[in-house]
Amino acid sequence: MSFWRRREESLVVGAAGLALFLAAFLPLAWTFIEAAAADPPALRRGLAALKAARPWILLGRSLTLAAAATALALLLGVPLGLLLGKTEVWGRRLALALQALPMSLPPFLLGLGWFYLFGAQGFVGSEASRRILFSELGAVLVLGLAFAPVASSLTALGLWGVDAALEEAARVVAGPVRVAVRILLPAAWPAVALAALIVFTLAFSELGVPMFLRVEVYPAAVFARLGGMDFAIAEAGFLTIPLWLVAIVLLGIERSLFRRRSFAVAGLRGRSAAPLPLGRLRFPAAACCWLATLLLLAPILSLAARAGRGGGFSAANQWLWPSLANSLILGCAAASLLAVVGAVLGHAAARRRPGEKILDGLAALAFLAPAALLGVGLTAIWNRPPTRFIYGGPAILVLGFLARYSIVAIRSFAAVLAQFSRDLEDTAAAFGAGYLRRFLGIVLPANFRGLAAAWILAFVFCWRDLETAVLFYPAGWEPLTVKIFTLEANAPEAVVAALSVAQAAATALVLALGFLVWRRKAPW
Amino acid sequence: MVTPAIALEEVFLNYRDVPALAGLTLEVQPGEILALLGPSGSGKSSLVRLVLGLVAPARGAVRLQGEAVSREGRILKPPEERRLAVVFQDLALWPHLTVRGNLEFGLKAQGLPAAERNGRIGRMLGRLGLQGKERRFPGELSGGERQRVAIARAMVLEPRAVLLDEPLASLDASLKHEMLFVFRELLKERRLAALYVTHDLREAASLGDRIAVLERGRLVQTGSLEQLREAPGSEFVKALAGDLFWMGGSRA
Repeated sequence: MSFWRRREESLVVGAAGLALFLAAFLPLAWTFIEAAAADPPALRRGLAALKAARPWILLGRSLTLAAAATALALLLGVPLGLLLGKTEVWGRRLALALQALPMSLPPFLLGLGWFYLFGAQGFVGSEASRRILFSELGAVLVLGLAFAPVASSLTALGLWGVDAALEEAARVVAGPVRVAVRILLPAAWPAVALAALIVFTLAFSELGVPMFLRVEVYPAAVFARLGGMDFAIAEAGFLTIPLWLVAIVLLGIERSLFRRRSFAVAGLRGRSAAPLPLGRLRFPAAACCWLATLLLLAPILSLAARAGRGGGFSAANQWLWPSLANSLILGCAAASLLAVVGAVLGHAAARRRPGEKILDGLAALAFLAPAALLGVGLTAIWNRPPTRFIYGGPAILVLGFLARYSIVAIRSFAAVLAQFSRDLEDTAAAFGAGYLRRFLGIVLPANFRGLAAAWILAFVFCWRDLETAVLFYPAGWEPLTVKIFTLEANAPEAVVAALSVAQAAATALVLALGFLVWRRKAPW
Repeated sequence: MVTPAIALEEVFLNYRDVPALAGLTLEVQPGEILALLGPSGSGKSSLVRLVLGLVAPARGAVRLQGEAVSREGRILKPPEERRLAVVFQDLALWPHLTVRGNLEFGLKAQGLPAAERNGRIGRMLGRLGLQGKERRFPGELSGGERQRVAIARAMVLEPRAVLLDEPLASLDASLKHEMLFVFRELLKERRLAALYVTHDLREAASLGDRIAVLERGRLVQTGSLEQLREAPGSEFVKALAGDLFWMGGSRA
């Protein structure tokens, strides 16, 4: 037996880990490297930037805004998830599927949609509604509604994972409301808590909505030092130090509350209990659910109406296709790389191989860390003469997506493998198959749908990304989200709206494709 | 002196600091079927995973035909190099591969040429009455057919020993009886050493040349059916002796 064959697993996992290390660890660690190596003037400037009151006020505002948006998303999303996931509300699956669309769009686009509705010139807007929209409250409302589907979907998913026997045993002795509140929701709490963590992370990282609504937030202050007149990369590095604290706290919460549980979020049982009967509440509950779904879709409908009214679709052509192609190329490349890394590291995580906790923790940290922290690090590491070929081309965006979203691919594939009998792999090992033969011949083909789902999920995250890409997109490689963001201030509203509708339509297409892949029965 | 096909020497195994096997010494001779009998949680499946090389013993050694393959916390030979075959309780048939694909997978891993693979597969399918099912996926087979495929997949490799981890636990009585007969016939005609793990005394008595009784990770007694009945080595064996009485001490 050859030396290499015995080390296949170590080599493959090591290569995936190295990719993650280069993409995520180096940029994240850069803040400390830079601070340690800073010359005295740079150190003074950096410390002065941190000593000023302004950054801390902004940090406090960002944290408050993210917390309020999370509270709103949970307040709306959890009951919605409960009703759509577990009761006999008419069209509940369709409503959940429709909510996947706003969830897969950058919140900035939804903010635009709300602006076309409630801006001073909006369909139902007035000066008063404009004032509310362009305020901290407006940012909370836009972000809370944008992320509510994350809470509803994860709650529904968590409820589907609850053992049917637990629910049925409770149904024998208690009414549906008591069963829902006392048994189902507590049993599904990891999913709800995970939703809270994800929403908080995304809301805290969000750049597009606060910048559009003229609400000053901390990540925007860092972003300002990465481009234009205020370019000051070293100062930006110092400003990322408080973001580290936020990231570490979030990682601590994630480690202590979820890690293994998050693998089981997708662990749907084969048998599910009958939907909870709502009795007289059936019609009002259905009406509430569908009204809420319409509320979540309202900004997309508003975008479509705005684009149609001003002839935006024909005028948007010149910007649409190059940016759409960029998004598609970048999304496909990054999702493919993420699927490979996610499959290898997800397998290592599910099988608890040595070192998997460190790699999983690093991937989680890169997602939980605000995008600005990662963006500053990536810019500082790769924007140097020897690596300009990476920084100046699409590779830097692929690296950024790999760093930020690897946890999505790792966890989703690990969740799939958690349902996959380990005996299938052990038998193959006993029958003489080494790691690669087992991985390529048994694990991947037998879990092909799971792998495809991980790819599509990773693609959607890259496709909807604005906050990472906007920090360091190279010239000529703007994804559609960035193009819309940069055009928003200068192009006619109808054109911006049309581009946003194109983004939404393409997203819907990807989601439909994902749904078909997931629904497709395996040939065996 | 004959070298045992499988030998465990003073083996200790822990799972999260809980001892699963405690100083176990056991041998399976070439051509012998050793039935390993024990209640749930006695360490039977841990022993199978240990012999396969999926876990390493904290202390002690595992030898295959005299060669140390695991020793003192280290796996010296990984599972894929041990030339063993296994049938798990859930059969672990690869759902995305056809019957033929399931049989061929291990042969390809061994690097056998296509002609040899085809010959072996054809003979094994014929021997187990699975002709015409080659292109079926496991999900398209009956319970008995799946069982046969699992056996065929293990035997087609011509391994040096076979490990059977409660492979009949989910079958009804008549099918179980039929499969026990098939197992014994195949193992004996190939003179294969086998470790048959079960919690069912009838299966152990029907198939095993010897029966080893495992309790709380320790081997409490090894012997023939008659020896177990006449001089039970523990309360558990004593309780089993009642069943043995009703079985009349003979193979079921």
